[in-house]
Amino acid sequence: MKRKILINLIGILLAFLIGAIVMLIQGKDPILAYASLFEYSLGKKFVYTLNKSVPLVLTGLSATVAFASGPVNLGQPGQLLIGALFAVIGGLYLKLPPFLMIPALLLLAMIGGALWSGIAALCKHFFRMSEFITTLMLNMIADFLTLWAISYPLFEKDANHPQTPPIATAAWMPEWGNLSSSVLVMVIAFGIIWWVMNRTTAGYEWRISGQNSLFSRLGGVNVSKNYVLVMLLTGALAGLAGGLVLMAGPHRFIKDMGANYAWDGIMIAMVANSGVFLTLIFGLFFAVLQTGATGMQLTALVPRELIQVLQAVIVLIVVAGRGYFETLFARREARRKMKGLAK
Amino acid sequence: MTEMVKIFPPSLVALDHVSVTFREGEIHAIVGENGAGKSTLMKILYGMQPADSGDILLKGKPARFTDPGEAIANGIGMVHQEILLIPEYTIWQNVVLGLEPVKFPNRLDVKKARQQVRAKIDEFHFNLDPDAKVEDISVAARQKVEILKLLFRNVSVLIMDEPTSVLTPQEIPQLFSELKRLRDNGHTILFISHHLDEVLELSDRITVLRKGKFIGTLDAAKATKANLAQMMVGREVIFESLRLPQQPGNLVFEITDLKYTDSDKRLKLSDINLKVHSGEIVGIAGVEGNGQLELVNAIMGLVEPQTGSIRCSDVDITRLPILEKRRKVAFVSQDRANMGACTPAKITENVIMTHHRLGKRFTRAAGTVLDYRQAVAFTGEVRQMFDVQMTNGEAPFKSLSGGNQQKIILGRELLLTAPFILLDQPTRGLDVGSIEYVHRQIIAMRSSMRGMLLISADLEELFRLSDRLLVMHRGRIVADLRTESTNINEIGYLMLEGKAYEA
Repeated sequence: MKRKILINLIGILLAFLIGAIVMLIQGKDPILAYASLFEYSLGKKFVYTLNKSVPLVLTGLSATVAFASGPVNLGQPGQLLIGALFAVIGGLYLKLPPFLMIPALLLLAMIGGALWSGIAALCKHFFRMSEFITTLMLNMIADFLTLWAISYPLFEKDANHPQTPPIATAAWMPEWGNLSSSVLVMVIAFGIIWWVMNRTTAGYEWRISGQNSLFSRLGGVNVSKNYVLVMLLTGALAGLAGGLVLMAGPHRFIKDMGANYAWDGIMIAMVANSGVFLTLIFGLFFAVLQTGATGMQLTALVPRELIQVLQAVIVLIVVAGRGYFETLFARREARRKMKGLAK
Repeated sequence: MTEMVKIFPPSLVALDHVSVTFREGEIHAIVGENGAGKSTLMKILYGMQPADSGDILLKGKPARFTDPGEAIANGIGMVHQEILLIPEYTIWQNVVLGLEPVKFPNRLDVKKARQQVRAKIDEFHFNLDPDAKVEDISVAARQKVEILKLLFRNVSVLIMDEPTSVLTPQEIPQLFSELKRLRDNGHTILFISHHLDEVLELSDRITVLRKGKFIGTLDAAKATKANLAQMMVGREVIFESLRLPQQPGNLVFEITDLKYTDSDKRLKLSDINLKVHSGEIVGIAGVEGNGQLELVNAIMGLVEPQTGSIRCSDVDITRLPILEKRRKVAFVSQDRANMGACTPAKITENVIMTHHRLGKRFTRAAGTVLDYRQAVAFTGEVRQMFDVQMTNGEAPFKSLSGGNQQKIILGRELLLTAPFILLDQPTRGLDVGSIEYVHRQIIAMRSSMRGMLLISADLEELFRLSDRLLVMHRGRIVADLRTESTNINEIGYLMLEGKAYEA
């Protein structure tokens, strides 16, 4: 456990070092840049950091649950969009008081996401198509399907840009000051996912199947049923992220909304190595970076795109480092044994 | 090769100061049980794996190859167990690959290439057609192509890793006569095997390894099966029965007319009929690859047989979901890492598999929530009852030694209340002490009147434990004998020939 934390910390520090070198080459001051980054995202704009973390953590959890259980669901971007589409339809046509409207729309968003991942699950079940491919393809279909939906049937009259009209105010996520209540939904979702993965029979079977599917099959686990369940659950999580982005943010479906959150979520799941708790931590950390990017740009005049470089480098170093450090520890063990033999 | 040491991180000592001398123009067999270090030693010689210490002298000069290409350039080639050819290519295309004769301007000289391959085939009297596609020829012929590939590269030392394991019994003599001819032409052949008959028949000298240590090299003319076996296992091999006389009870497990053809339409099992009674151990002997794996898979539900039925205590379980089968069948697999356990998961998580669905004890709220306290308690019980050496249940399963891993698996399976236990090579890869332990547990299960089917490649094990012995040969059961009324020679002959010895 300690070793794991150490490897993650080393990876992050190395990534920051590389970022600093890039800044030095461009003639910027890295210390000022990093200071303003953290001052901004952890200081006066901390609330925004929390708001921003919602889609990152939720799509991250979606990918984490999928990867830990076996299915390679890479369809979070598409599932997020379809979730948002379902939510916007509900928001435009349902007339309910807020305490019913919000849960109804969140449920719709989850159904949308689950439907989209469910298509991939059906393709696997009937045609043995790998979800690795189908979910990626479905991302593109979702991209253009939603673009069509907001350009034609749901298009806001006289808008000069593909977008829908705003949803009913009853469906807006309430805010306390600047803190969006979507953060609360995220915390609840995290709690439920952690509990399902670590305390329920289903979570136990999913995790074991993810590591050794044949063993679980022989042990009496219904592997194909679990596959469908995991696909639906992870689709629902990504759909929920889409619904929350829409209901907490622009309150309407705008072109290119939330496009990158889901890909970041997949990255977060990869650095978190399928750990539910680490997904939360890295989701928050990526939110810190992305929020702080604005502060960095304002104070140190470092372009915010650098943050994307930093994120990618963190992923590379932490993921590569994991394997590297493990062989390193194993070799050290071998050397010790070698000395023992020599005596 | 002197003082070779190889350690696989973190702590598996594969070779412990092994020194061997090979002479030019001999067939030298390297024998040992699974995990003795035979393959590792050869892979080091061939440059596939680096040694941690030790020296190799080739014709008096120090040599250490960092990759197989270098070894081939120095005249050492290896034929692997699995055959590595391109099926869509013809024989000559496979042979010249990487060494193609070219003509101006840099084009493959097809005529010359075919000629060269033809010449090599004739030189060594290999009965091969250079224009045949590899996918159309038999496994034995493919193996010949592998050898030809090396000869084409002017290799003088041939390393063969269990070359007979992929061959049918009829094909083996031909391979042997070809290898002998190569030797007579001055080639050196290093031959890995664990079949003593083959080794005695083919080789000039024999080196025995055991658990990574060099035990000895002897002349084949002076060696006997008994002393080789003793060197391999490190003790006098005695077929002493562990069983006490006991009257078997009711019929618990029965297979009738089972037939299974795999997806390539190859007949893997046919006319399988067998019965197991409670309190009885039925052993299945046979050379590996004669349908044992398919039989296990059919019983466990990993493959679906075309015809026939499998019944367990009067229930037809042939096509039941695996979970339903598991109410009746406990299963100890030979493949701990893939079938027997989830090695990266915690020990506790491995112990409760199957129990978590069949035993009410481990779940609450109608089976949806796991009760980890019960799981931990159960791990403690297994640890105590089966004498497992471990720190605690939170540690990953893979941190246990092989013997302790098997104890955990045995504990899990034997504590299921299933009336029938399928044991597939339950002692494979274990040390002597652990084997003893596993055997005693199996005998204890017999005393508590469970029915068991024991599949094993180890005749000693079969003779010690089984009440009856069945022999499998090419997917059929060719003999059903009481252990007392047969002997190892008879079983051995049945395993190889598939029929009883006729004098």
